Amino acid sequence: MRNPWGWVALTAFSLLFFTFIYAPLFVIIGYSFNSNPVNMMIWEGFTFDWYTGLFGLSDRATGVGNRAAYIESTDQMLAALRTSLTVALFTTTISTVIGTATAIALARYRFRGRGAYNGFLMMPMMMPDIVLGIGLLIFFVTLGMQLSLLTIIIGHCTFLTSYVFIIVQARMAGLDPALEEASADLGASEWTTLRKVLLPQLAPGIMGGALLAFVISMDDLVITYFISGVGDTTLPVFIFGMIRRGVKPEINAIATLIILASVIIAALGLWLRSRKID
Amino acid sequence: MAPLLEIRAARRDFATPEGGKICALDGVDLDVGANEFVTLLGPSGCGKTTLLRAISGFEMLDSGTIQLGGADLTALPPFRRPVNTVFQSYALFGHITVARNVGYALEVAGVAKAQRDVEVAETLEKVGLAGMGTRRPSQLSGGQRQRVALARAIIAKPKLLLLDEPLSALDRNLRQQMQIELKNLQHRLGIAFIFVTHDQEEALTMSDRIVVMRAGAIEQIGTPRDIYRHPRNRFVAEFIGETNLFAVTVDRLEGDTALARTAEGVEVLLPADGRKAGERLTAILRPADFTIAAQGIPGTVTRAVYLGSDLHLSVAPEAGGPDISVAIRDGLGVGEGTRLHLAHDPARVHVLEDA
Ligand SMILES: Nc1ncnc2c1ncn2[C@@H]1O[C@H](COP(=O)(O)OP(=O)(O)OP(=O)(O)O)[C@@H](O)[C@H]1O
Ligand SMILES: [Mg+2]
Repeated sequence: MRNPWGWVALTAFSLLFFTFIYAPLFVIIGYSFNSNPVNMMIWEGFTFDWYTGLFGLSDRATGVGNRAAYIESTDQMLAALRTSLTVALFTTTISTVIGTATAIALARYRFRGRGAYNGFLMMPMMMPDIVLGIGLLIFFVTLGMQLSLLTIIIGHCTFLTSYVFIIVQARMAGLDPALEEASADLGASEWTTLRKVLLPQLAPGIMGGALLAFVISMDDLVITYFISGVGDTTLPVFIFGMIRRGVKPEINAIATLIILASVIIAALGLWLRSRKID
Repeated sequence: MAPLLEIRAARRDFATPEGGKICALDGVDLDVGANEFVTLLGPSGCGKTTLLRAISGFEMLDSGTIQLGGADLTALPPFRRPVNTVFQSYALFGHITVARNVGYALEVAGVAKAQRDVEVAETLEKVGLAGMGTRRPSQLSGGQRQRVALARAIIAKPKLLLLDEPLSALDRNLRQQMQIELKNLQHRLGIAFIFVTHDQEEALTMSDRIVVMRAGAIEQIGTPRDIYRHPRNRFVAEFIGETNLFAVTVDRLEGDTALARTAEGVEVLLPADGRKAGERLTAILRPADFTIAAQGIPGTVTRAVYLGSDLHLSVAPEAGGPDISVAIRDGLGVGEGTRLHLAHDPARVHVLEDA
């Protein structure tokens, strides 16, 4: 760098920027190990109690000293986690398949209304969550469908398909059409070309889209809040419910675990992307 | 013997965005023999790529037929046509190794792995890439990728190989080396090549026959010598190599020779056979057809450039008119401003009868 002050300013800016983004996360992680049950902002000592408590392994309670209440909420939490994972796995699979197929079809085949189709696919991403949530709720009620795991999955697929589509489409646009021609030229049918050339070439995009869909599905609160049945609480909805009854230290522990899971998924995504396919 | 490839009355129109039509192939007839090296040559947009893609099946003809070895290909999809292509961008599959790229045609055809490995090794050897099979295409140089593309296209032993400007991405030295290798390979494999190039020198040195195209139609088909010495019209003459065109009127006959003049008065000698005084025609002389002599067309050198062993001159005729391009072997003492006479052998003149 020619100008040392410029370098200092740039470093300072980056530090501030990352502090701003990551400070809240570190605060939560710190709090989750604070043994002060009443005021988490005052450090009292290090503890794993909130973690073990989450899984019903600790007698320590917040507020009320009632172990039974804990075990119940632990079961609820694990059930919510299971619901979230189920929903995320199904929606990721369905929206990845539909989104990828759509991206390939739109890039390779000309048909009437192609432009409009493209626009309609973007719409669910642009739409505010709350509008989408209400819309879906009214739609399901109109059809007379019981709110259930199924309605959550359908609801998530409506907008996650768009995300997968956008990402795969970007990869598709960067692909040399001569690759598919070369494959056909060497005797491969369209199906073989899809299997041996197109899908492997699109793989990083498809993986990226699937990971994004998974994370968004796990994370969605607003839309899910409208379309989940009584028995099918997802993790975000469960946490939201807990917070309304006051922020307890266990929430910090859950949050920390979720941060950890996200970091692992993100690292997995980056690793997959770094395995270059060009 | 019937030719390997027979194209009859091939037509292909493209719609332009403005709503008009471009005729990319305007009734093309072409025969290619087994083991023949045919080059398509012509200005940009004349339909060379379209013709190649029509043969490989990526463009369907609006009308006309394509037959290969007696079988009708016209309506077959690309993957059912026994021709292979070397793409200009190489189009190598980046997600698999060089060996799997080369063996792709066999893999798709269901050849067993052991057999495939043997043939892949042989083919890599043929193109000078022995031992490179385990690399990824991204780990190769441009010239090596070119060879992989070639190996991939010949492994299934097609009767006809299509190459669309395969050498255009290579630098000059590598390009010349590949020209020789391609020609040798074609000879050894006994495959017919249809080769597209912009480079007329490349076309002249490599081809058995050259197809000169303009605006979707074939202007002339012939051996390099034919095309160079006996262009059928002005377009071909000007497109291939440096050319001097003289629009002349026959002045008088002197024995075997006819003496003709341009409007400015530059004198050109032609063979007399059957010419009559007053006849108008176009005389074509190549730069190498001239010699410096005591008599001939008087002029002044306006530019002198050494190209390899030849001295290339631009000579302004004293009588006026466009400069004449001249290439001579031994140009000692000739430079810009030198006054000289250009002589030529009447038998070297190629005559285009004016319409
Ligand atoms: N897919 C297409 N849609 C519309 N017009 C096309 C299409 N492909 C080619 N053309 C037109 O057809 C004509 C012939 O094109 P082609 O690519 O065959 O030319 P070419 O001889 O290969 O030129 P170049 O030497 O520049 O590669 C051109 O006018 C081109 O604009
Ligand atoms: Mg072309």
